[in-house]
Amino acid sequence: MIRVVLFFLLLLFGSVAKSQTPTDSIQKLDEVILSDVKLKRYAHGYKVTALGDSLLQKNRSSFTDLLRFNSNLYFKENGYGMVSSPSFRGTNASQTAVIWNGISINSQLTGQTDFNTINTTNFNSVIIRSGGGSVQYGSGAIGGSIHLNNTLSFNPHFDNTVTLSYGSYETKNIGYLSSYANDKWSFNIGVNYIDSDNDYKYLNTDKRNTNGAYYNGSVNANVGHVLSSKDVLKLYHQTFIGEREFSGTLSSPSLAKYEDENFRTMLEWSRNGDKAFSKLKVAHLQEHFKYFGTKNTENFTFGKVNTYLINYTADIDVSTDLKLKPIVSYNYYEGSGSSFEDPNRQEFSTTALLQYKPNEKWQYGLNIRQDITSGFESPLLFSFDIAYDVTNYYTLKINGSKNYRVPTFNDLYWQPGGNLDLVPETSYQIDLGQEITYKSAKLNFNAFYIKTTDLIQWKPNTTGFWSPENIAKTQNFGAEANLDITKRIKTHHFSLLMNYAYTVSEDLETNAQLIYVPYHKANVNLAYAYKRMSLFFQHLYNGEVYTTPENLSGRFYSVEAYQVSNLGVSYQLFKTKSQQIDVSLKVNNLFNTAYENVAFRPMPDRNFNFQIQYKF
Amino acid sequence: MKRIILSIFAMSLLIVSCSEDNDDNISTEPLGAYEDGIIISGEGSPSSISYISEDLTTSENQIYFNANNEATGVYLQSLGFNDDKAYIVVDAGTITVVNRYTFEKLATISTGLTYPRYIAFANDKGYVTNWGDPNDETDDFIAVVDLTANTVINTIPVGNGPEQILVEDNFLYVSHKGAFSTNNIVSVINTSSDVLTTTITVNDNPDEMIVDNTGDLVVLSSGKPAWTGDETKAAITKIDMDTNTVSTTLEFSDGEHPELMMYLNGNLYYNLGSSVLSITDDATAVTSTPLFTTGATTLYGMAAKDDRLYFVDAVDYTSAGQLFIYDETSYSLINSFTAPVVASKIYFN
Repeated sequence: MIRVVLFFLLLLFGSVAKSQTPTDSIQKLDEVILSDVKLKRYAHGYKVTALGDSLLQKNRSSFTDLLRFNSNLYFKENGYGMVSSPSFRGTNASQTAVIWNGISINSQLTGQTDFNTINTTNFNSVIIRSGGGSVQYGSGAIGGSIHLNNTLSFNPHFDNTVTLSYGSYETKNIGYLSSYANDKWSFNIGVNYIDSDNDYKYLNTDKRNTNGAYYNGSVNANVGHVLSSKDVLKLYHQTFIGEREFSGTLSSPSLAKYEDENFRTMLEWSRNGDKAFSKLKVAHLQEHFKYFGTKNTENFTFGKVNTYLINYTADIDVSTDLKLKPIVSYNYYEGSGSSFEDPNRQEFSTTALLQYKPNEKWQYGLNIRQDITSGFESPLLFSFDIAYDVTNYYTLKINGSKNYRVPTFNDLYWQPGGNLDLVPETSYQIDLGQEITYKSAKLNFNAFYIKTTDLIQWKPNTTGFWSPENIAKTQNFGAEANLDITKRIKTHHFSLLMNYAYTVSEDLETNAQLIYVPYHKANVNLAYAYKRMSLFFQHLYNGEVYTTPENLSGRFYSVEAYQVSNLGVSYQLFKTKSQQIDVSLKVNNLFNTAYENVAFRPMPDRNFNFQIQYKF
Repeated sequence: MKRIILSIFAMSLLIVSCSEDNDDNISTEPLGAYEDGIIISGEGSPSSISYISEDLTTSENQIYFNANNEATGVYLQSLGFNDDKAYIVVDAGTITVVNRYTFEKLATISTGLTYPRYIAFANDKGYVTNWGDPNDETDDFIAVVDLTANTVINTIPVGNGPEQILVEDNFLYVSHKGAFSTNNIVSVINTSSDVLTTTITVNDNPDEMIVDNTGDLVVLSSGKPAWTGDETKAAITKIDMDTNTVSTTLEFSDGEHPELMMYLNGNLYYNLGSSVLSITDDATAVTSTPLFTTGATTLYGMAAKDDRLYFVDAVDYTSAGQLFIYDETSYSLINSFTAPVVASKIYFN
């Protein structure tokens, strides 16, 4: 289903700029040179924002916190570090695709990615693509997609970064990143381990988060080799192994524990031919979880899925104005688990992307995709996008698409309840964007409308168990505003980033707002750097969310709006041409606010994190 | 002399009647806001407890939260009432002891319980069914609670998945629905010795129990549903508590799996989906002809008292629940109230 991304095409031609802006040390959303060709070439009419590696390294917060404070995404997190699911433009967690180096890694069991099982520090960039992307990225890219990218450069270099941090609740983190290249070989390795008691105090009570400890380790290892002037071979690997206790609610502690093991490996062969730049990819993904209802016993339930994928794509310049990219892909999934036997599923997909640029002002994209899937019929998908540069400072963007989300293994095979008659959820959407760029300031306005039908929902049925059905219909509409300004006055660097989203997401039968979708969400990031010192302040406003379909407000029906702030200061202790040591201190929840993100699951009180980073 | 006796007698009558009058006139202090009424518990989440006055004129949701400014936890399985106290049993492993008339918290029992389900009372002790680890079919037990110290003082090992518990004379009767799997026994425990005396085999998945007017223990087994691939018949089983043997088994047809039962004025009521059916004490077979169908989307609990039938609706398990009150003879809806999320149990305070 997923065609794999053409990475580093630009790198191959030696024309890529480093993904660090002059305001490197300043915490903000960096606009990086995109390494994903699909994102670069075939997304002109979409809003695409990027978090560069400087931000990922400086602000070593969880993936959830990173996006919560720096983007329009809303997260539903079952207490800090616990299961965290995103809502992108009011869609649900299985309607946000997470893409690892071009491949969707959403769980085949649940359809979603738990954002607390991803460690971002080992990636070079995280890119947020707003709007429907099923044609390019497959099932689940309805609200938008989050892209985790590793880059392999063949510019000779040898860089190392060691990071140690220690913080409240006995939180220990160690990370090592190494990147080496000559003109034939390129390596990069990232190793990260984090361990936390996470036993934060529940403010205004005498209780603590007693069953919330976690640890996880992840390894990213990537190798590239230039075979000939035309052929390059690349191998990407990621392992994530983690164990978490699942904390309970304010009034009920829990004894549960959860283990995750994810392995992802991809081999890519690219050939820069005379007529086309082609790529062949093979990949293996494995997801495996174990759930222990009582952590001190050996009794658990589990689920496991292996995904095998082969994908071929070519980038063809038909003429100087017209670019074409056909993709064919075959995926095979095999699952096993406590709640189903050993089901498998196959998928074959064909995609064509077309990009037309008749002049400097206009860009048109037209894309179609058809999947052939065992078990159910997939709809014909399409998308179009147009970008028009009205002036040098002002661009209009529009895109529309039909997207889908296929039933998961749980939906199809869970015993009891699994429903083999399900069809994919389908969704139409339109997104209108305006982008004003002036010097180092950028302002984006987007308005969107999404209508989804055949939504899969689990409901109790007449025979006494729960079963999924294609029943619900929803519509989402809203507006987003993003402002990004950087300013330099002599040696003083200032930056301001603001994101605001207004989101209506309603059930079309009841016209009621869906649970756990805030109408309003906003964040502000302010940063200042002077010589060796830098400072940042970030603030989040998260509107009230309903927890029952009736849209009532109050302790048992909604989670109150909250505001939370973080403050960070960083100082460059030492710097030579080849070495650098930074120390930083971060205060999370600066004003010690009591807040909940999910009902009855308090979030941490004020906490501190001290970090030392050595680059050589 | 005779007149004196008569007059004394008359005076005594007067005094008696006066004192009776006085009794009627003395307005006793109410024991609390939730005296005399209907208490509904909901599993959640969030779990909560609602109150409706006996005359149905006032109602209040989240009474535990209102009294204590804290929630009741996941998942609220059941309540138990003893003397002036109520016991809130939460699956996560706690029992909160409250004043049953004010719902103010008095104590918490949080050690010695693993997956507690229901509580019953005898000899100043509480008896709590516990699943242990629900995946482990051999660690299930009844926790014996000292009601003064509010601590678990003893455990009685029992078969897998003990569910509801009922006291009759000196014996406890425990239905074993089988936790995450299945079971088909009723355990009998002697409360003088706290020892398991016998187990009685019934149809699969016994859950609700009542004692009928003839003095029999009536057990509703829902049977294994068809989706298990091993469907077994549901049944109403009557047990002679003198001999602890099954006297009558009334089986249902395949595809019929009642899960709820209540008893009022010689009628045994049970459900099939949202429909209500009933048989009398002398019935020789179950019926499939409903008396009426409740307004519930997901009928999740029922209870009966004083010519009224009460039903709770768990709706879609996320919306606020509903309580429906029907007249016992006309089966007409008297009133309905909002109830906790996943409203499951009805009690009369």
